[in-house]
This record gives sequence, structure tokens and C-alpha cells, in this order.
Amino acid sequence: MRGRRVLVSGMGSELGSLVALQLESEPWVGALEGIDVDPPRRRLRKATFHRIDPTDRGRVLDTVTRFDPHVLIHVAMWEPDARVHTTRARELTESAAVSILGAAAECPSLQHIVVRSAAEVYGRRRGSPTRPDESGAVDPTSEFGRIAAALEATAATAASRVGVTAAAVRLAPVVGPHVPSPLGRLLRLPGVPFSVLADPPFAVVRDNDAAQALVAAARVGLDGPVNVTSPGAITAWQAILRGRRLPIPLVGPEWAIARRISLLFGAPIPDHVAETLHRGRLIDGGRAETLIGFAPTTTTAEVIDSLYAWPSVIRVSAGVGMNETGSVAS
Amino acid sequence: MSADPNGATVIPLASAKESRRPLGRALRAVTRPVAVVWPRPTVDEWGRDARLIEALQPLAHLRWDVTVGGQQHIGEGGALVIISTRRMALTAVYASWAIGDALDRPVRFAGRRDTVPFGPWMRRAGGILAHPDEIASALRAGEIVVAGASPTTNPRQAGTIDPHLIEPALREHVPVHVAATMNTMIGRQARVEIARALRPKRPRRGPLAEVELAEQAQRALQDLLDELGGTRTGLGVLGWMAEG
Repeated sequence: MRGRRVLVSGMGSELGSLVALQLESEPWVGALEGIDVDPPRRRLRKATFHRIDPTDRGRVLDTVTRFDPHVLIHVAMWEPDARVHTTRARELTESAAVSILGAAAECPSLQHIVVRSAAEVYGRRRGSPTRPDESGAVDPTSEFGRIAAALEATAATAASRVGVTAAAVRLAPVVGPHVPSPLGRLLRLPGVPFSVLADPPFAVVRDNDAAQALVAAARVGLDGPVNVTSPGAITAWQAILRGRRLPIPLVGPEWAIARRISLLFGAPIPDHVAETLHRGRLIDGGRAETLIGFAPTTTTAEVIDSLYAWPSVIRVSAGVGMNETGSVAS
Repeated sequence: MSADPNGATVIPLASAKESRRPLGRALRAVTRPVAVVWPRPTVDEWGRDARLIEALQPLAHLRWDVTVGGQQHIGEGGALVIISTRRMALTAVYASWAIGDALDRPVRFAGRRDTVPFGPWMRRAGGILAHPDEIASALRAGEIVVAGASPTTNPRQAGTIDPHLIEPALREHVPVHVAATMNTMIGRQARVEIARALRPKRPRRGPLAEVELAEQAQRALQDLLDELGGTRTGLGVLGWMAEG
């Protein structure tokens, strides 16, 4: 078990950096390497980082096969309108999946694959279960859900072809002070639109908890999906008032206008976020403790509070550093 | 921060110092009925809003005066309660609220619609979809779920029970109870009588298990309704109308 070689794809993202940071303190991890197009957002002491574009399949293949990992944690997934727009997000996720998962499948030591997935894979079709568990049908109704479902399928196919286990960690919307999230960005606008007729509940998960869940899935060698969500739920109306924002009640047709105005303010509303505000987004995370030995304890309300507690400008003076969670510590 | 008995996370908005102020206490008491719009999150993981239900209780009491019996038969964990229902009577709503009051724990009812605006409101009132996976999810989490037999026009007749509603209880190994309900269209008096958990007569491994248990539940529900008798207003014609 000890001395395992772990490869983290997408190490440059907020979530990937947190995963790498936690893997550095895991006793079973021997060597740690990462690949991404952006450099990590945390100071990593043990990990080796390779800055490679995921579309550069040759370099990815060389790097991955030379490292010959036992475990691959695939975080290289782009949420639409988080860092890139929807079309680009789909292209980058697909190319990263093909090149990195394909390269990992060529490694003789590979034993386990963990992919970051999303609660959006269940979809929110009318009449579909409100809180689907892991046995729920994968039936995405948004572009992000389709991207995540395709990634899961690619990982499962690659794993079955080389005879290794594959886990899909289906995360509730990941929100945190430093996470580029379209939902978080929207909720932090001065005025936030919400569906006054529905105002359904949704749940989120903190970035640190999401990273811990990915590491836990790698540690136990989970084979199959697991839902990870914070306990509790909140509605958009309640979140808006918690953040002391101006609630903008909308009924239906004016959403098209609201989405365009929101885009002008720098907070585009992709279809999965619109779906969350109209139909809610809850998943049953009750099996996480059993499956991976970890369940988030930070409640949804606390995660939303931490989102609003994030100051627009953090002034760092001499003698003051950043701690591991990204908050300022003296 | 703490968790209230309903499982919803409670984050105190007012400081302890403020809570000692009589003016603050009085203000909160006056605004209690409309406090559901406050930002404190009160919806739980299924979307049930404990404070909304609390705020609506006085209105519900104006319509129904419910007596609950047999609540001691329901244990600590999850349970599925199949109730008799009457058309246009919101039986599942008042029965779940009344059982919840009697047990002092949240009770959900299966059968909310998934369309606006009624669906979201029913969800806030404790409704979940009458979908086997949805019911199983709640039962697995140790929740009590009330599901209705098919509605009838005669309140003393038990309707058929969909085996798909029973199947989640068998899957999650939780007890199935039946509860007879009695109410009238014009009166406030209503009654919910819960029976002991059903015991399947024969162990089955396949889908016959839920089919047979559904039939057994319907018979048990009919027996319970017969024992309960009808509602009586004391006036002949009015009594007949009340049962209609």
C-alpha cells in the first residue's frame, strides 16, 4: 500500500491543487506528479508538476508512461463558464480525458482511476428523483452534466479495458472563496435573480471537502460512483438574503434578459446553473461515509456563508502568510 | 451552530446579547408567522421547511382537529406508513403533519407534483415525489414517509395500494404500517389511527413480495377502517353528507 505513485491531472486548478496538497500528507503516497496547463495555486513541497497542454498528446503520453503511476486522480474537468465558456470547456475536458486516461491505460503499474464528476449527471428532468443516490440513472439535462457523464464513461471504458478499478466522485456544486464557480460568482453579484415560483433547494460542497473526497476515493480504491455533498440545503432566496444581496424575483420569460445582463456583469449563467435555480440540485450523499470513509461536515449554509465572507481584496502585509486553506494567517 | 430536532441546521442570527433584549424577543414573536422569509436556512435535504410548516399550523388547525392514535407502534428508524385517502381532502398533508406532531419528528408524504407553483410548495410542506427511488432515499436516511392508497369517494373504503410504493420499504428493510384516516368535508374532526407493522405472510425473494404485501396492507387498512367506524355529526342527513 505504501510508496504508491500518484498522478493528478488538473493539478493547476483550485481543486487539483488542494488534492495535491492533501496527497502530500498521505502516508501511502510515495511519489506525486501532476499535469495541467496552468501552474498549481498552492505551494507544493513534494509534488512534481509538468506544465503541459492536454491537447499535446505526445508529451502527455511521454510524461505519464515515464512516471508509470499506480493511481490516477483525474481532476482535469472544465465546468462551463467557470474558467472557459461552454464549448471550450467541452473540448478541453474531452481532449484531456482522451490523452491522460489513454496514456494512463498504457502504464503497466496502473491499478486505480479516480475521476472528478458532478451531481449534474443525474439531470433534473420533470419527475426525476429529487435526491438521487448512486444507483440513480445517469440522465443529464445540462451541458455540464453531459460533459461529466461522458468523462465517467471514458474512464469506465479505459479501466475495464486494462482491468483496473475506476471511481467517479460525483460532487455537488463546488463552491469556495477561491473556486472559479459560475454559481458562486452569480450569488456574489449585488443583485441576484431567482425563480420566485419555484425557489428550489440546492446543496453545495466546499472545495476542501471535495478534495478530501477525491483523496479518500483513491485511498480506498473505490470501484463505482459516490455522491459527495454537504449536509443541509438552501434555497436561492435564502442564500441571497444571507449574503445581503438584492433579490431579483423572476417568473419565466425574463430569464433570457437576466442571463444576458448577468453576463455583462461578468457572471454568465450556464444552463446547469439556471437548472439549479429552477429545479434545484440535491443528491443523496448518505453512502459516502460507507464507500470512502469520508463525508463532509461543513454544512451548505456554512459554505454559502464562507462564499460571502470572502473579501474582494485581501491585503497581505509583511509577516502575514497564507495558510493551507487559503485564508490569511499571521 | 446547532441542529434542531428536525435535522435542519440552525445558525443563530442574533447574538446571545441580543436575545436577552426584551424588544428583540418581542419583535421575533410578532414576526414569527412571516419568519419563513428570513435568510436562516430552514429547508432540509429534501426541501422540507420546518418553519413554514410551523407557521402554517394555526391555519391547519382551523381546518382540521386531528387525533392521532397508535403512534407508539412506530419505532425510532425509518418507516413507511400507508394511509387511506379521500378525494380532494389533502389527507396525506394533514396526516403527515399530525403524525409528525405526535412523534415530534419530521414526517414526509409521497405524492407531490413536480410542477410549479404547487410542486415547490408541497415540497416545502414535506412532500416528496411518489417515486420508488425517492421514497427509498428517505427511508434509508431513517425518515418516516406517508404514502397514500389510491383515493376513494367513500372514506370507509380502502383503495388499492400501488406495490411500487411498498417496494422501497422492502428494499431498505424498514417496517410498513397502515393508518386509517377519517375526516369530513365540512367538519374539523379528523382521526389518524396507526396499526402495528405488517408482517409478510410468506417470505418472497422476487417481486411477489411487494405485490402480496400491498394486498395485505389493503386488507389491513380495510379492517382498520371498519373498526374505526364512520364519522358522526349527530344529524342524519348531515352525517351522510359528511361521509361523502
